[in-house]
Amino acid sequence: MDFTLSGESKMMVKAARDLAKQEIEQIEAKIEEEDAIPDDIWQKFAKARMLGMMIPKEYGGIGSSALNVILILEELAKTGSAVAFLMALNNSVVETIYHWGSEDLRKRFIPPLCDGSLWPAMAFTEPGTGSDPTAITTSAKPDGDHYVLNGTKRFISYGHKKGYGVFYAKDETEKVTAFVVDKSSEGYTWSKPWSLMGLAGQGLVDIFLKDVKVPKENILGEKGKGFHILLRWIAGERVQQMAFMVGMGQECLNESLRFAKERIVRGRPMTDMQGFQWMLAEMHASIEASRWWTYRVASKQDEGDDIAVDSAALKLFVVPTIQEVARKALQIHGSYGYCKDYKIEKLYRTIASPGVTAGSTEIQKTLVGSALARSKEI
Amino acid sequence: MNIVVCIKQVPETSDIGWDPKTGTLIREGVGGILNPNDKNALEAALQLREQHGGLITALSMGPPQAEDALREALSMGVDKAILLNDRIFAGSDTLSTSYALSLAITKIPSFDLILCGKESWDAMTAQVGPQLSELLNLPQLTYATVITVNRNSVKIKQKLEDGFRILEASFPALITVEKEINQPRIPPMDSIMEAYRDKEVQVWTAEDLVKDKKHFGLKGSPTQSRKVYSKKVQKGKVTILEGEPDEVAGRLIQTLKQKGLL
Repeated sequence: MDFTLSGESKMMVKAARDLAKQEIEQIEAKIEEEDAIPDDIWQKFAKARMLGMMIPKEYGGIGSSALNVILILEELAKTGSAVAFLMALNNSVVETIYHWGSEDLRKRFIPPLCDGSLWPAMAFTEPGTGSDPTAITTSAKPDGDHYVLNGTKRFISYGHKKGYGVFYAKDETEKVTAFVVDKSSEGYTWSKPWSLMGLAGQGLVDIFLKDVKVPKENILGEKGKGFHILLRWIAGERVQQMAFMVGMGQECLNESLRFAKERIVRGRPMTDMQGFQWMLAEMHASIEASRWWTYRVASKQDEGDDIAVDSAALKLFVVPTIQEVARKALQIHGSYGYCKDYKIEKLYRTIASPGVTAGSTEIQKTLVGSALARSKEI
Repeated sequence: MNIVVCIKQVPETSDIGWDPKTGTLIREGVGGILNPNDKNALEAALQLREQHGGLITALSMGPPQAEDALREALSMGVDKAILLNDRIFAGSDTLSTSYALSLAITKIPSFDLILCGKESWDAMTAQVGPQLSELLNLPQLTYATVITVNRNSVKIKQKLEDGFRILEASFPALITVEKEINQPRIPPMDSIMEAYRDKEVQVWTAEDLVKDKKHFGLKGSPTQSRKVYSKKVQKGKVTILEGEPDEVAGRLIQTLKQKGLL
């Protein structure tokens, strides 16, 4: 078992760090203020070849690994910015189209999502359902060469930006089918973005589909098997979310160390005090455990394993663990940590997100528990 | 236009130890990075190649792990990478380093320019570039903030303490660059993969350079550190001055003058 990262992976992390410093940290205050990510960040990601990273070169990707995507994401996450999520969403959506798509779909939709000209989206959630696939109401009715989609999708990141998205709807057999939808289609409209607790600029909108015509050849994978596509995507998404958590957790520790080393209490730095040392030690151990498990699940993904249960178990461990790291970071900062002038304030808000998005922490317990109950190994 | 860029791997942090016997840095266990000023030299070379074509060779001398600095140069876009690596090079001062680099450069088929960073951030001598130009008998254009290549000559804007001056030289020439000259590019992820998977770092030993090895390494270095010690930092007491701003400012100036700091 080799726990060392390759020179290539370490260099990618370093490049991601430089990109975060040069391109994200500089604009983060503006993103927070305007609650919008500037469109040109997309071209910057494309230039850095960080879009569609797991896709072979002939489709516009670079043929890298899930682990490398995770490492880069962890580094970008230290900014606490939604920009990191943007990169994650692109990589997971593009990989989904590549994995399930026909050669025609791959060639039509993947290159513009890799060269920074178009934005991706993934649309399952609806006003009446989050985790229950049987409750979705968006319909897809066949009409000649097309399907006609009607319904509302909720909380769709960058659903309002020009590009392609994977949309789930019930077809005429009442089964869930996945479609690649052009977001410029007639009848495709959106709400104003939801105002979020954190992740400024995430661009979470509701999508209204009114008689949106989608060519039949845009069906992703097999007709009626859309839920399999969703489950596989969401498993990868969970690992990416956890990389995001690890990066932010590490930044919580870094910020706490900087603060505690400089803060003098009764003539001594806070770091001299055993109480704070213990908090820092617990934070460090929590982050390391979360980090290496995240890497392990990403490696399993690279090996082609089904990571549905692993990623759910990972999430139910990492989310509360890193949320506790953030809580300790806030306590170490005292009142300063509650001020927007300190990065901890933003990290604390952002770290709350993965516990309630892409499947809550609680539902992961159901997933893992039922898988254990079904297991025939014992 | 063919360019050789001399680069160095330096310790990642300033928190490093010294070998009390040799007076040299203890590099074991300390992460290495590409010297920031050398990144500016690489970027300058890449921009010149974009304008005028040609090949770029990155050259470094160091322990085996210095290969990472060369891989970074390859990922930024240089064409070839050469590492001078031999136990005999250990403990080299700037002159001995320049000597080894100069011998290597004479074995590179043809070049029009040699680019170096102004200085390394661990030693900060700014000597290797100028020494290299003397050993190779080349015109030296130091502290460049702008490089302009004409048909038969190269011009730089040189940064001085109290101003700038324009220098011009014929080819081949050696240029050292300031950090203000450019913003080094971030290597794209695909280029990093190619640098590690598809490209080669050639390793040359002392034997590949010259038979007589007496000028290499610690023995070939005229500079010997007699003593190395860390500066003692004395911690003082924190005094908080309170009162009206004008009055406090006056007292602060007075206090600083008393301590000989103003």
